[in-house]
Amino acid sequence: MKGSFRRHADLRLTALADEGVVLHLGERRYFTVNETGLAILNALEQPRTYDELVAGVLDEFEVEPEVAAETTTAFLQRCIDSNLVLAVDT
Amino acid sequence: MTSTESGLASGRHGDPEREARDSHPYVLTSNDAALGASLRRWLDESRLDWPATFQLDVQVVETVAVVDDTREAFPQADLLIQAGAPDGTVRITWGSRAMAIVDATEPRATVQMTPEAVAALETAERAFLLVTLLFVLRRVGWYHIHCAALVDPRGRGWLLVGQSCSGKSTTSALLASHGWSVSTDDIGFLSHSRGEGSKGSVEGFRSPIALRDGGQALLGKAGGIDLSRRGKTGFDVEDLGARWVSRVTPEFLLFTSTGTTTSVTALGPRAVINHLIESSLWVLFELVHAQEHLDALARIATQSRAFSATLGPDLFANPDLLQELVQ
Repeated sequence: MKGSFRRHADLRLTALADEGVVLHLGERRYFTVNETGLAILNALEQPRTYDELVAGVLDEFEVEPEVAAETTTAFLQRCIDSNLVLAVDT
Repeated sequence: MTSTESGLASGRHGDPEREARDSHPYVLTSNDAALGASLRRWLDESRLDWPATFQLDVQVVETVAVVDDTREAFPQADLLIQAGAPDGTVRITWGSRAMAIVDATEPRATVQMTPEAVAALETAERAFLLVTLLFVLRRVGWYHIHCAALVDPRGRGWLLVGQSCSGKSTTSALLASHGWSVSTDDIGFLSHSRGEGSKGSVEGFRSPIALRDGGQALLGKAGGIDLSRRGKTGFDVEDLGARWVSRVTPEFLLFTSTGTTTSVTALGPRAVINHLIESSLWVLFELVHAQEHLDALARIATQSRAFSATLGPDLFANPDLLQELVQ
Protein backbone atom coordinates (compact mmCIF):
# COMPACT_ATOMS: atom_id res chain seq x y z
CA MET A 1 0.00 0.00 0.00
CA LYS A 2 1.59 3.21 -1.14
CA GLY A 3 1.54 6.72 0.30
CA SER A 4 0.79 7.86 3.80
CA PHE A 5 -2.27 7.46 5.90
CA ARG A 6 -3.84 9.24 8.83
CA ARG A 7 -6.85 8.51 10.93
CA HIS A 8 -9.96 10.63 10.55
CA ALA A 9 -9.88 13.75 12.72
CA ASP A 10 -13.28 12.87 14.18
CA LEU A 11 -12.04 9.64 15.78
CA ARG A 12 -11.56 9.26 19.51
CA LEU A 13 -10.00 6.13 20.99
CA THR A 14 -9.50 4.55 24.35
CA ALA A 15 -8.12 1.24 25.57
CA LEU A 16 -10.28 -1.23 27.46
CA ALA A 17 -8.85 -4.55 28.63
CA ASP A 18 -7.24 -6.09 25.53
CA GLU A 19 -9.38 -4.10 23.15
CA GLY A 20 -9.96 -0.57 22.03
CA VAL A 21 -13.07 1.50 21.69
CA VAL A 22 -13.31 3.86 18.75
CA LEU A 23 -15.83 6.65 18.33
CA HIS A 24 -16.42 8.20 14.94
CA LEU A 25 -17.97 11.47 16.00
CA GLY A 26 -18.57 12.70 12.48
CA GLU A 27 -20.80 9.72 11.83
CA ARG A 28 -21.98 9.21 15.43
CA ARG A 29 -21.09 5.55 15.54
CA TYR A 30 -18.72 3.48 17.59
CA PHE A 31 -17.05 0.12 17.49
CA THR A 32 -14.43 -1.97 19.18
CA VAL A 33 -11.10 -3.10 17.76
CA ASN A 34 -8.52 -5.58 18.97
CA GLU A 35 -5.27 -4.41 20.52
CA THR A 36 -3.43 -4.54 17.19
CA GLY A 37 -6.05 -2.37 15.57
CA LEU A 38 -5.90 0.04 18.47
CA ALA A 39 -2.11 0.28 18.13
CA ILE A 40 -2.40 1.01 14.42
CA LEU A 41 -5.08 3.66 14.94
CA ASN A 42 -3.03 5.23 17.72
CA ALA A 43 -0.03 5.41 15.39
CA LEU A 44 -2.19 7.03 12.75
CA GLU A 45 -2.70 10.14 14.83
CA GLN A 46 0.22 11.32 12.70
CA PRO A 47 0.64 10.49 9.01
CA ARG A 48 2.32 7.09 8.61
CA THR A 49 3.37 5.01 5.68
CA TYR A 50 2.33 1.41 5.39
CA ASP A 51 5.88 0.31 6.11
CA GLU A 52 5.99 2.43 9.26
CA LEU A 53 2.77 0.84 10.45
CA VAL A 54 4.07 -2.67 9.87
CA ALA A 55 7.27 -1.77 11.71
CA GLY A 56 5.19 -0.48 14.61
CA VAL A 57 3.23 -3.72 14.82
CA LEU A 58 6.49 -5.71 14.79
CA ASP A 59 7.86 -3.53 17.59
CA GLU A 60 4.82 -3.89 19.77
CA PHE A 61 3.72 -7.47 19.22
CA GLU A 62 5.59 -10.75 19.02
CA VAL A 63 4.57 -11.77 15.51
CA GLU A 64 6.33 -12.85 12.34
CA PRO A 65 6.87 -10.15 9.70
CA GLU A 66 4.44 -11.86 7.33
CA VAL A 67 1.74 -11.85 9.99
CA ALA A 68 2.38 -8.20 10.80
CA ALA A 69 2.10 -7.28 7.14
CA GLU A 70 -1.07 -9.29 6.58
CA THR A 71 -2.70 -7.90 9.72
CA THR A 72 -1.79 -4.34 8.87
CA THR A 73 -2.95 -4.65 5.28
CA ALA A 74 -6.31 -6.12 6.21
CA PHE A 75 -6.99 -3.68 9.04
CA LEU A 76 -5.87 -0.62 7.11
CA GLN A 77 -8.00 -1.53 4.13
CA ARG A 78 -11.07 -2.03 6.31
CA CYS A 79 -10.46 1.31 7.95
CA ILE A 80 -10.10 3.07 4.60
CA ASP A 81 -13.30 1.45 3.35
CA SER A 82 -15.10 2.58 6.50
CA ASN A 83 -13.86 6.17 6.34
CA LEU A 84 -11.83 5.79 9.51
CA VAL A 85 -8.48 6.27 7.84
CA LEU A 86 -7.64 8.58 4.96
CA ALA A 87 -4.82 8.61 2.46
CA VAL A 88 -2.90 11.85 2.82
CA ASP A 89 -0.50 13.78 0.64
CA THR A 90 2.93 14.15 2.18
CA MET B 1 -37.60 43.75 35.47
CA THR B 2 -34.25 42.09 35.37
CA SER B 3 -32.97 39.96 38.18
CA THR B 4 -29.40 38.84 38.47
CA GLU B 5 -28.47 36.51 41.24
CA SER B 6 -26.01 33.78 41.80
CA GLY B 7 -27.15 30.40 42.92
CA LEU B 8 -25.48 30.61 46.29
CA ALA B 9 -27.51 28.41 48.54
CA SER B 10 -27.93 29.08 52.22
CA GLY B 11 -26.23 26.16 53.88
CA ARG B 12 -25.70 25.18 57.45
CA HIS B 13 -22.41 26.15 59.04
CA GLY B 14 -20.03 23.25 59.36
CA ASP B 15 -21.46 21.30 56.45
CA PRO B 16 -18.36 20.59 54.34
CA GLU B 17 -20.34 19.17 51.44
CA ARG B 18 -22.51 22.25 51.29
CA GLU B 19 -19.57 24.59 51.61
CA ALA B 20 -17.80 22.84 48.75
CA ARG B 21 -20.89 23.27 46.64
CA ASP B 22 -21.14 26.94 47.52
CA SER B 23 -17.57 27.52 46.43
CA HIS B 24 -18.63 26.84 42.83
CA PRO B 25 -21.96 28.59 42.43
CA TYR B 26 -23.78 28.91 39.20
CA VAL B 27 -24.93 32.27 37.91
CA LEU B 28 -28.52 32.39 36.77
CA THR B 29 -29.98 35.49 35.23
CA SER B 30 -33.55 35.99 34.09
CA ASN B 31 -35.93 38.75 33.10
CA ASP B 32 -38.59 36.96 35.17
CA ALA B 33 -37.85 37.01 38.89
CA ALA B 34 -40.33 34.27 39.74
CA LEU B 35 -38.97 32.00 37.05
CA GLY B 36 -35.42 32.69 38.19
CA ALA B 37 -36.34 31.77 41.75
CA SER B 38 -38.01 28.55 40.61
CA LEU B 39 -35.02 27.54 38.54
CA ARG B 40 -32.60 28.29 41.35
CA ARG B 41 -34.71 26.08 43.60
CA TRP B 42 -34.61 23.32 40.98
CA LEU B 43 -30.85 23.56 40.66
CA ASP B 44 -30.31 23.71 44.42
CA GLU B 45 -32.60 20.78 45.10
CA SER B 46 -30.52 18.65 42.76
CA ARG B 47 -27.83 18.92 45.48
CA LEU B 48 -25.16 18.59 42.80
CA ASP B 49 -21.71 19.56 43.99
CA TRP B 50 -21.05 21.74 40.95
CA PRO B 51 -17.52 21.20 39.63
CA ALA B 52 -17.15 24.78 38.39
CA THR B 53 -19.11 27.92 37.92
CA PHE B 54 -21.53 27.89 35.04
CA GLN B 55 -23.97 30.46 33.70
CA LEU B 56 -27.55 30.24 32.57
CA ASP B 57 -29.40 33.22 31.16
CA VAL B 58 -33.11 32.45 30.91
CA GLN B 59 -35.31 34.95 29.17
CA VAL B 60 -39.07 34.78 28.89
CA VAL B 61 -40.09 35.80 25.39
CA GLU B 62 -43.39 35.87 23.51
CA THR B 63 -41.94 33.90 20.63
CA VAL B 64 -38.68 32.04 20.38
CA ALA B 65 -36.22 33.65 18.00
CA VAL B 66 -35.89 32.10 14.57
CA VAL B 67 -32.30 31.05 14.01
CA ASP B 68 -30.87 30.11 10.65
CA ASP B 69 -29.16 26.89 11.65
CA THR B 70 -28.71 24.39 8.85
CA ARG B 71 -26.90 21.79 10.92
CA GLU B 72 -28.38 18.32 11.07
CA ALA B 73 -31.04 18.15 13.78
CA PHE B 74 -30.90 15.15 16.09
CA PRO B 75 -34.32 14.30 17.56
CA GLN B 76 -34.37 13.39 21.24
CA ALA B 77 -37.85 12.88 22.67
CA ASP B 78 -39.58 16.25 22.14
CA LEU B 79 -36.34 18.06 21.41
CA LEU B 80 -34.25 18.78 18.36
CA ILE B 81 -30.56 19.13 19.03
CA GLN B 82 -27.97 20.60 16.68
CA ALA B 83 -24.26 20.68 17.36
CA GLY B 84 -20.85 20.81 15.80
CA ALA B 85 -19.35 22.88 12.99
CA PRO B 86 -19.18 25.59 12.04
CA ASP B 87 -19.43 27.40 15.39
CA GLY B 88 -19.46 24.49 17.85
CA THR B 89 -22.48 25.68 19.78
CA VAL B 90 -25.27 23.33 20.77
CA ARG B 91 -28.78 24.44 19.92
CA ILE B 92 -31.64 22.73 21.72
CA THR B 93 -35.16 23.39 20.48
CA TRP B 94 -38.32 22.37 22.32
CA GLY B 95 -40.89 22.91 19.58
CA SER B 96 -42.01 26.52 19.50
CA ARG B 97 -41.91 26.67 23.29
CA ALA B 98 -38.25 27.11 24.11
CA MET B 99 -34.74 27.17 22.74
CA ALA B 100 -31.29 27.09 24.29
CA ILE B 101 -27.89 27.79 22.83
CA VAL B 102 -24.92 26.36 24.71
CA ASP B 103 -21.58 28.03 24.13
CA ALA B 104 -19.06 26.08 22.06
CA THR B 105 -16.54 25.72 24.86
CA GLU B 106 -17.56 27.72 27.92
CA PRO B 107 -20.08 26.45 30.51
CA ARG B 108 -22.84 28.85 29.72
CA ALA B 109 -26.15 28.83 27.91
CA THR B 110 -28.69 31.37 26.82
CA VAL B 111 -32.26 30.16 27.04
CA GLN B 112 -35.51 31.52 25.67
CA MET B 113 -38.78 30.24 27.06
CA THR B 114 -42.28 31.23 26.03
CA PRO B 115 -45.04 31.72 28.63
CA GLU B 116 -46.36 28.32 27.49
CA ALA B 117 -43.09 26.68 28.51
CA VAL B 118 -42.99 28.58 31.80
CA ALA B 119 -46.54 27.45 32.56
CA ALA B 120 -45.37 23.84 32.28
CA LEU B 121 -42.20 24.41 34.25
CA GLU B 122 -41.89 20.94 35.78
CA THR B 123 -42.05 19.42 32.31
CA ALA B 124 -39.75 22.10 30.93
CA GLU B 125 -37.17 21.40 33.60
CA ARG B 126 -37.09 17.71 32.90
CA ALA B 127 -37.65 17.65 29.15
CA PHE B 128 -35.70 20.70 28.08
CA LEU B 129 -33.66 22.49 30.74
CA LEU B 130 -32.07 19.31 32.01
CA VAL B 131 -30.73 18.51 28.54
CA THR B 132 -29.42 22.05 28.32
CA LEU B 133 -27.71 21.53 31.65
CA LEU B 134 -26.14 18.28 30.44
CA PHE B 135 -24.40 20.10 27.64
CA VAL B 136 -23.31 22.94 29.92
CA LEU B 137 -21.83 20.47 32.41
CA ARG B 138 -19.97 18.61 29.64
CA ARG B 139 -17.90 21.77 29.36
CA VAL B 140 -16.70 21.40 32.94
CA GLY B 141 -15.97 17.69 32.76
CA TRP B 142 -19.20 16.09 33.92
CA TYR B 143 -20.74 13.61 31.51
CA HIS B 144 -24.35 12.50 31.71
CA ILE B 145 -25.19 8.85 32.19
CA HIS B 146 -28.68 7.42 32.43
CA CYS B 147 -28.43 5.31 35.55
CA ALA B 148 -29.36 4.73 39.15
CA ALA B 149 -26.48 4.99 41.61
CA LEU B 150 -26.54 3.36 45.03
CA VAL B 151 -24.31 2.20 47.86
CA ASP B 152 -25.00 -1.16 49.49
CA PRO B 153 -24.87 -1.78 53.25
CA ARG B 154 -21.23 -2.90 52.88
CA GLY B 155 -20.27 0.46 51.38
CA ARG B 156 -19.90 -0.77 47.81
CA GLY B 157 -21.03 1.38 44.92
CA TRP B 158 -23.48 0.10 42.33
CA LEU B 159 -24.79 1.53 39.09
CA LEU B 160 -28.02 0.26 37.60
CA VAL B 161 -27.77 1.21 33.96
CA GLY B 162 -30.61 0.92 31.50
CA GLN B 163 -33.27 2.63 29.53
CA SER B 164 -36.64 3.68 30.87
CA CYS B 165 -38.81 0.87 32.25
CA SER B 166 -35.81 -1.35 32.94
CA GLY B 167 -36.37 -1.52 36.68
CA LYS B 168 -33.90 1.09 37.90
CA SER B 169 -36.30 3.17 39.94
CA THR B 170 -38.35 0.36 41.41
CA THR B 171 -35.19 -1.50 42.42
CA SER B 172 -33.70 1.70 43.84
CA ALA B 173 -36.82 2.23 45.94
CA LEU B 174 -36.75 -1.36 47.16
CA LEU B 175 -33.07 -1.24 48.09
CA ALA B 176 -33.50 2.19 49.68
CA SER B 177 -35.96 0.61 52.08
CA HIS B 178 -33.46 -2.15 52.96
CA GLY B 179 -30.38 -0.31 54.12
CA TRP B 180 -28.89 0.96 50.88
CA SER B 181 -28.03 4.59 50.26
CA VAL B 182 -29.20 6.22 47.07
CA SER B 183 -27.73 8.99 44.98
CA THR B 184 -30.08 8.96 42.00
CA ASP B 185 -32.57 6.65 40.36
CA ASP B 186 -32.18 8.16 36.90
CA ILE B 187 -29.71 10.99 36.29
CA GLY B 188 -26.01 10.71 36.92
CA PHE B 189 -22.88 12.52 35.86
CA LEU B 190 -19.58 10.75 35.38
CA SER B 191 -16.83 12.56 37.19
CA HIS B 192 -13.23 11.89 37.98
CA SER B 193 -11.34 14.63 39.75
CA ARG B 194 -13.11 14.12 43.04
CA GLY B 195 -13.37 10.36 42.81
CA GLU B 196 -11.39 7.95 44.91
CA GLY B 197 -7.84 7.89 43.65
CA SER B 198 -7.87 7.19 39.95
CA LYS B 199 -11.38 5.79 40.02
CA GLY B 200 -14.36 7.30 38.34
CA SER B 201 -17.49 8.27 40.20
CA VAL B 202 -21.05 9.21 39.46
CA GLU B 203 -22.61 12.34 40.87
CA GLY B 204 -26.33 11.93 41.41
CA PHE B 205 -28.94 14.50 40.50
CA ARG B 206 -31.18 14.36 43.50
CA SER B 207 -34.88 14.08 42.83
CA PRO B 208 -37.64 11.88 44.22
CA ILE B 209 -37.47 8.26 43.12
CA ALA B 210 -40.22 8.18 40.52
CA LEU B 211 -42.35 5.05 40.40
CA ARG B 212 -45.08 3.99 38.05
CA ASP B 213 -48.16 2.36 39.53
CA GLY B 214 -46.70 -1.13 39.11
CA GLY B 215 -43.51 -0.24 40.91
CA GLN B 216 -45.39 1.46 43.72
CA ALA B 217 -47.62 -1.59 44.10
CA LEU B 218 -44.57 -3.86 44.33
CA LEU B 219 -43.06 -1.56 46.92
CA GLY B 220 -46.32 -1.58 48.86
CA LYS B 221 -45.97 1.99 50.00
CA ALA B 222 -48.79 4.47 49.91
CA GLY B 223 -48.52 8.23 49.74
CA GLY B 224 -45.62 9.86 47.98
CA ILE B 225 -45.26 12.94 45.85
CA ASP B 226 -47.70 13.48 43.03
CA LEU B 227 -45.81 13.37 39.73
CA SER B 228 -48.95 12.80 37.72
CA ARG B 229 -47.67 14.78 34.74
CA ARG B 230 -45.12 12.00 34.37
CA GLY B 231 -47.63 9.33 35.33
CA LYS B 232 -45.60 8.53 38.42
CA THR B 233 -45.43 8.91 42.17
CA GLY B 234 -42.25 10.17 43.82
CA PHE B 235 -40.58 9.19 47.06
CA ASP B 236 -37.71 11.00 48.71
CA VAL B 237 -35.06 8.49 49.68
CA GLU B 238 -35.37 9.51 53.34
CA ASP B 239 -39.07 8.61 53.26
CA LEU B 240 -37.99 5.11 52.29
CA GLY B 241 -35.60 4.95 55.22
CA ALA B 242 -32.47 5.57 53.18
CA ARG B 243 -29.70 8.13 53.20
CA TRP B 244 -29.01 10.25 50.15
CA VAL B 245 -25.39 10.34 49.00
CA SER B 246 -24.03 12.83 46.51
CA ARG B 247 -21.51 10.54 44.85
CA VAL B 248 -21.07 6.85 44.14
CA THR B 249 -17.84 5.16 43.12
CA PRO B 250 -19.08 2.02 41.42
CA GLU B 251 -17.73 -1.46 42.00
CA PHE B 252 -20.67 -3.12 40.29
CA LEU B 253 -22.44 -2.29 37.06
CA LEU B 254 -25.78 -3.90 36.36
CA PHE B 255 -27.29 -3.45 32.91
CA THR B 256 -30.90 -3.95 33.73
CA SER B 257 -34.05 -5.29 32.21
CA THR B 258 -37.17 -6.67 33.82
CA GLY B 259 -38.43 -10.23 33.84
CA THR B 260 -40.16 -12.84 35.93
CA THR B 261 -37.10 -14.01 37.86
CA THR B 262 -34.03 -12.13 39.01
CA SER B 263 -30.75 -13.32 37.52
CA VAL B 264 -27.36 -11.91 36.53
CA THR B 265 -24.84 -12.86 33.85
CA ALA B 266 -21.27 -11.60 33.83
CA LEU B 267 -20.33 -9.41 30.87
CA GLY B 268 -17.05 -8.95 29.04
CA PRO B 269 -15.43 -5.59 28.30
CA ARG B 270 -16.87 -5.24 24.81
CA ALA B 271 -20.46 -5.65 25.94
CA VAL B 272 -19.85 -3.38 28.91
CA ILE B 273 -18.53 -0.46 26.91
CA ASN B 274 -21.28 -0.89 24.32
CA HIS B 275 -23.94 -0.70 27.04
CA LEU B 276 -22.25 2.27 28.70
CA ILE B 277 -22.06 4.23 25.47
CA GLU B 278 -25.74 3.54 24.82
CA SER B 279 -26.53 4.96 28.24
CA SER B 280 -24.32 7.98 27.80
CA LEU B 281 -25.03 8.75 24.17
CA TRP B 282 -23.91 12.36 24.18
CA VAL B 283 -20.38 10.98 23.99
CA LEU B 284 -21.10 10.55 20.28
CA PHE B 285 -22.61 13.93 19.74
CA GLU B 286 -19.95 16.60 19.75
CA LEU B 287 -16.19 16.77 19.55
CA VAL B 288 -15.77 18.91 22.64
CA HIS B 289 -14.72 16.72 25.57
CA ALA B 290 -15.51 13.54 23.65
CA GLN B 291 -12.15 12.01 24.56
CA GLU B 292 -12.60 12.80 28.25
CA HIS B 293 -16.14 11.46 28.18
CA LEU B 294 -15.01 8.23 26.50
CA ASP B 295 -12.17 7.87 29.02
CA ALA B 296 -14.65 8.34 31.86
CA LEU B 297 -16.81 5.52 30.49
CA ALA B 298 -13.78 3.26 30.08
CA ARG B 299 -12.65 4.06 33.62
CA ILE B 300 -16.01 3.00 35.04
CA ALA B 301 -15.96 -0.14 32.92
CA THR B 302 -12.45 -1.05 34.05
CA GLN B 303 -12.94 -0.53 37.77
CA SER B 304 -16.24 -2.41 38.02
CA ARG B 305 -17.54 -5.93 37.77
CA ALA B 306 -20.31 -5.87 35.22
CA PHE B 307 -23.40 -7.98 34.74
CA SER B 308 -26.47 -8.16 32.61
CA ALA B 309 -29.27 -8.26 35.17
CA THR B 310 -32.85 -9.34 34.85
CA LEU B 311 -34.84 -7.85 37.71
CA GLY B 312 -37.90 -9.79 38.79
CA PRO B 313 -40.57 -9.47 41.47
CA ASP B 314 -38.75 -12.14 43.49
CA LEU B 315 -36.27 -9.43 44.45
CA PHE B 316 -38.95 -8.06 46.76
CA ALA B 317 -39.01 -11.34 48.69
CA ASN B 318 -35.22 -11.26 49.02
CA PRO B 319 -33.75 -7.76 48.66
CA ASP B 320 -30.26 -9.18 49.33
CA LEU B 321 -30.49 -11.30 46.19
CA LEU B 322 -28.45 -8.98 43.99
CA GLN B 323 -25.56 -9.01 46.45
CA GLU B 324 -25.75 -12.80 46.62
CA LEU B 325 -25.81 -13.22 42.84
CA VAL B 326 -22.71 -11.13 42.15
CA GLN B 327 -20.53 -13.01 44.67
